[in-house]
Amino acid sequence: MESEALSAASAVVSGATSAAGAVEAVTGATVVAGATPLVAQTGVALVLEKIYWFLMVPGVYLSVLAFLAFSAVVIVRALRAPPPPYQLAIYPAPRNALLAALRDAFGMPQIRKKAPIFWFFLVAYHMGFALLILGHLDLFPAIDIVSAQSRHMVGSGVVGLLVTVPTFYFIGRRFKSPVREISTPGDYILLLLLLFTFLFGDLMSWGNSWTAKGFVMTKQDFARYFDSLARFTFANPRDFLRGSHYHFAVIHVLLAELVLVVLPFTKVVHAFFSVPINLLRRRVWTRN
Amino acid sequence: MDAELSAKLEGLFSKKLNSAMRMYLDTCARCGLCVESCHVYASMPEARYSAVGRAEVVRKIFKRYFKLQGKFAPWLGEVLEFSDGTMDKLEAAAFSCTGCRRCVVHCPFGIDTQQMMGIAKALLIGADREPKILSMLADMSIAKGEMLDETRADFAQALRNLEPEVLALWPSTPAGAPAVPYEAKGARVLYVALSGSHSIVSAAAIMNAAGERWSLSSFEAVNFGAFLGDAGKMKKMAQRIVDEAVRLGVEEVAIVECGTAYRVMRHMIGKTPFKVVAFVELIARYIKDGRIRLDPQVTAGKLTYHDPCQIARNGGIYEAPRAVIRALSADFVELEPTMQENWCCGGGGGLVAMGEEDFRMKSSKVKAEQLRASGATVVTTACENCHSQLADLNNHYALGMGVEFLSHLAAKALVKP
Repeated sequence: MESEALSAASAVVSGATSAAGAVEAVTGATVVAGATPLVAQTGVALVLEKIYWFLMVPGVYLSVLAFLAFSAVVIVRALRAPPPPYQLAIYPAPRNALLAALRDAFGMPQIRKKAPIFWFFLVAYHMGFALLILGHLDLFPAIDIVSAQSRHMVGSGVVGLLVTVPTFYFIGRRFKSPVREISTPGDYILLLLLLFTFLFGDLMSWGNSWTAKGFVMTKQDFARYFDSLARFTFANPRDFLRGSHYHFAVIHVLLAELVLVVLPFTKVVHAFFSVPINLLRRRVWTRN
Repeated sequence: MDAELSAKLEGLFSKKLNSAMRMYLDTCARCGLCVESCHVYASMPEARYSAVGRAEVVRKIFKRYFKLQGKFAPWLGEVLEFSDGTMDKLEAAAFSCTGCRRCVVHCPFGIDTQQMMGIAKALLIGADREPKILSMLADMSIAKGEMLDETRADFAQALRNLEPEVLALWPSTPAGAPAVPYEAKGARVLYVALSGSHSIVSAAAIMNAAGERWSLSSFEAVNFGAFLGDAGKMKKMAQRIVDEAVRLGVEEVAIVECGTAYRVMRHMIGKTPFKVVAFVELIARYIKDGRIRLDPQVTAGKLTYHDPCQIARNGGIYEAPRAVIRALSADFVELEPTMQENWCCGGGGGLVAMGEEDFRMKSSKVKAEQLRASGATVVTTACENCHSQLADLNNHYALGMGVEFLSHLAAKALVKP
């Protein structure tokens, strides 16, 4: 049965390739269209499909909304609180406090000096995270960083490694003294949540190319899914993401939704506060 | 702990939640970079003696009462409820921190553990669990100030008794003024000393040698309110100096060699109609302007300088003491690490005032090692607390060093006419 499906898919691919006269494949949906006949779903499969749809469509909207709302609450609370009663600078004070705070936040010189290996992984992780966001934004048709015709997302899978490998390091580091003694269960759970989100993302960006017929879901498929989300069509993502890796896509999205929802309640809010906090120790001022 | 007290403490906590504190409490990634920054941890490696270990006690209470996590998944952040056990932890955290802020230098975010210990201290006061010796000292200091009119004549007489000691260091006074001017109208500088004569005699000789128009403050500089973490008492003690300076119309207020007193007056009370300087800055300026000269032959031995945390890292005064030392001696060696990275002496945050000698000695082993490694025979500093602690360390660890105030060395080395 599976070999038949693969043969059919292969036939579609070769047909598409010869018709286009190019090596570049069309969408994964096209690839599997001939191999996965759509049958009416009943019972558990139907319930599962409904859950999948909820997670892949309304769930995304809800989690993004929750992230924005909760983040806004955290930021507004900090902004609306009274300022510190006196300056909290550390001396020598820099000539330009803002530049120094930006250098602290993005260059992490304190970590580079005291723990260069940790710093290396942190830099890789944060760069990877920024590229990861960029890669996901690139899936919207309006943004065109990597060609819309490409099968690959930004970085062709390397971006995933940039966040996954450091996360393994961070987890390992947390089991070592003295960091172990100051860690809370939430620290481990957050890292594990991020790790599995990244791993399932990797599975899609790397694992896709490990199948016998190459990419099952391509950038073009994800772009159609994102386009549907952006246009609020509420279409079933199955229409665009028909490959056998759809389950992994759903799990990836579910984990990402969890990350988005819990993020404003975790220490990841340093993404918002890193510059203003650093400014506190760099800026010299006197209260009137 | 009863519900009423718990609610009171929650209210006290919420009053401390300014914007900086909210960010400090929310942001820490528990990366552990600050762990080895603390001299207490470096001397006694236990997590509770690290900056993050202390801050976590406050943060866990914050999570319990001010975050959803504390209500729905308290185990995630191992939250703490108000209880006698929690108050014990707060006490251990707050009064094992000297407020040196070396951890702020090393934190990638710049989280200020001293500020968070301010919450701990406020909660301890709220629960009547603060160190009674500190609150007693603060109350006494305030009461002394309030009884000033009754004691003014005695104080003036005590100052007159000091004159021979001052004149032994510098034999004349500007325009026939008393050797220790007090309530001097037209003074340019108000010098705020401590209650001991050691903080007056050398300073008086130096200012007289410089021909300064100065007056001694009626109040002591030390601010026990700041040690205690009681913002009200701190302001009260600072305000009386401000009022006196305004009444006398001085241009500058020079703070005795006391780190906390300097930081409070210079950086914590807001803008003042006069300039606030540390006394060591005044000495450096007199030397630079040629108003005094120091004899480099007088000071014997290899000198090193301990940067008091509240004057240097938290006050910005690094160069002035070194300028004075250059005038005192060519035989000077920097401590390693030095300046911003210098180890705290271990006596700040009220620890010296509280006694706590056993803890102070154990927790400052790293400081003693740093002093010994310098190879210096004399350690000089510009802070009363640091001086007391360094003297204790010198005895406890048998360092065989001389421990000197910078002003005392400068006064002894004054080149007489």
